[in-house]
Amino acid sequence: MEQLHIIVCIKQVPDPEGPADAFKVDPEAKEVTPIGIPPVISPFDENALEAALRIKGHHATKVTAISMGEKLAEPVLRKALAAGADELILLRDPHFKDLDSYSTASVLSSAIRRIGVYDLILTGRQAGDWDFGVTGLLIAEILQIPAINVARKVEIRDDRVFVEKLSRDGYEVVKAQMPVLVTVSSEIGELRYTSVQALKAAAAKPMKHYNAEDLELDLRKLTVRRIIGLYAFHDQRQCTFIEGESSQEKGENLATRMRKDGLI
Amino acid sequence: MAEREGQGLASITFELLGMGKKIAADSQGSLCAAVLGHEIADVSGEIAHFADQVYSLDHTLLARFKPELYASALEQLCQNVNPDTVLMGCSLDNLNLAPRLAYKMGVQVITDCIHLAIEPETGHLLCTKPVYGAKVISTFKLEKKPYMATLRPKAVEPIGPGPIRGEVIRFDPVIDESAVKVELIEKIEEESVSLDKADAIVSGGRGIINAEGLEQVRELVKVLGRYFGRVELGASRPLVDARLVPSSRQVGLTGEKVTPAVYIAVGISGSLQHVTGVSGAKTIIAINIDPKAPIFNVADYGVIGPFEEVVPALNRKLEEL
Repeated sequence: MEQLHIIVCIKQVPDPEGPADAFKVDPEAKEVTPIGIPPVISPFDENALEAALRIKGHHATKVTAISMGEKLAEPVLRKALAAGADELILLRDPHFKDLDSYSTASVLSSAIRRIGVYDLILTGRQAGDWDFGVTGLLIAEILQIPAINVARKVEIRDDRVFVEKLSRDGYEVVKAQMPVLVTVSSEIGELRYTSVQALKAAAAKPMKHYNAEDLELDLRKLTVRRIIGLYAFHDQRQCTFIEGESSQEKGENLATRMRKDGLI
Repeated sequence: MAEREGQGLASITFELLGMGKKIAADSQGSLCAAVLGHEIADVSGEIAHFADQVYSLDHTLLARFKPELYASALEQLCQNVNPDTVLMGCSLDNLNLAPRLAYKMGVQVITDCIHLAIEPETGHLLCTKPVYGAKVISTFKLEKKPYMATLRPKAVEPIGPGPIRGEVIRFDPVIDESAVKVELIEKIEEESVSLDKADAIVSGGRGIINAEGLEQVRELVKVLGRYFGRVELGASRPLVDARLVPSSRQVGLTGEKVTPAVYIAVGISGSLQHVTGVSGAKTIIAINIDPKAPIFNVADYGVIGPFEEVVPALNRKLEEL
């Protein structure tokens, strides 16, 4: 088999595990502003990158990571190169702010068409900010290629993609001819550790920049999310701590308390 | 779109009908249901008690969910009946289907909604969903018909009684089997669980570490069986990713959103990914060795201590009471 080309779409998001009060909601501007938490690669997109790197471990593979946004933090996205991607393409333009899922998918598809030859496109199953989970499937529709969602394992054998995809009661093993798009779930495993040396070496890897003009996009066709309401949500409860001389006693006291408060 | 489960209907179907009825009333429309499958006369007849029209798309090639064929069949139905709004349940399958249909219809789809409403002045559809790991609730406006949304299970009330006698209409789409590009090789059923139907759930997390620790959690599940009709083992993501517990038992943003009377989190730190799935529990009990674990912020009762000591003592006492 010749060298495979895998494209991984990675989105920059505010760290989804940041504390609740770090997400400042401006109900007037309809914007969420993260305060004091760093941007990260969306967790499921990291899983997608890991899936690509595992394939790279078995086949001669070029991995291209591609990210789109109004503002992109290069050091954050360069982590993809440090982890093992061969090339990073940044699609950055003021017109890419707040795009809806379809426009996001069409910008990414334009860039992917420009890249030309590819065998596999990987995305996370959903993004860590808006949690829509539709961009990957839309890219496949636009490019007219098969799509498989929520993968827990992705392998290439005999020029075909074999995927274990999650189902409600377990999983299904499916196969498809390449090129194909696969959305990846966390069951694949976390993105491998990147050393400081790898981060330094990543600086030498190629990075390309495209804006809307480079991609020859029709700006009139880019549409934004229509948000009309936004508010912060806190599910805070008052926690009663069960005391005791020892851990065993705390366990016993919990049972007694459950009985007393009518839980059991 | 009706969701089937085994030979019958999944509970989300009645929630979709409930939401659909409200939207239909607010926009002076009628409520229609679509059932896709093979030999579906019984379920179509059942839904006819709740909807004005039931479109039955009965075809051997629709017997099993195939996103390419389902999307094409639904597209043909939509072209034919011109719905204002299309609602589906938010499920793994529909995460695959809904974007395909939205693309074909040239519209947006808002996934995982917890509330839907018609904007009175304009008639547009307002779709409310949790975003940023449920730290923020956002309402999106859809302006182009058909409005498409997927509804999170258990977010809205199911349709109430008051049976009507709707009409079952057979709709025969053209099905092109060659559109199927993904071939099923094998279906592995790990375990069929219905966490959403449990009265009590005990979940283990990263703190459980190994199969031995998990045994103590299972023991707690067993003991609680004395007090609750249906008790299930759940898990947060690390245990599922470590393959100690099957995916079907994962509670959280990408797993099940559960609503038991009692939820016990053992060795779960309380990542947002997880707590998003448990906020519907009536009472939450957290057992964790780390007093700073964020799970205590969303718990009603907390025990700070190593689960290896707390849980066996809890089990013993629960058996005594």
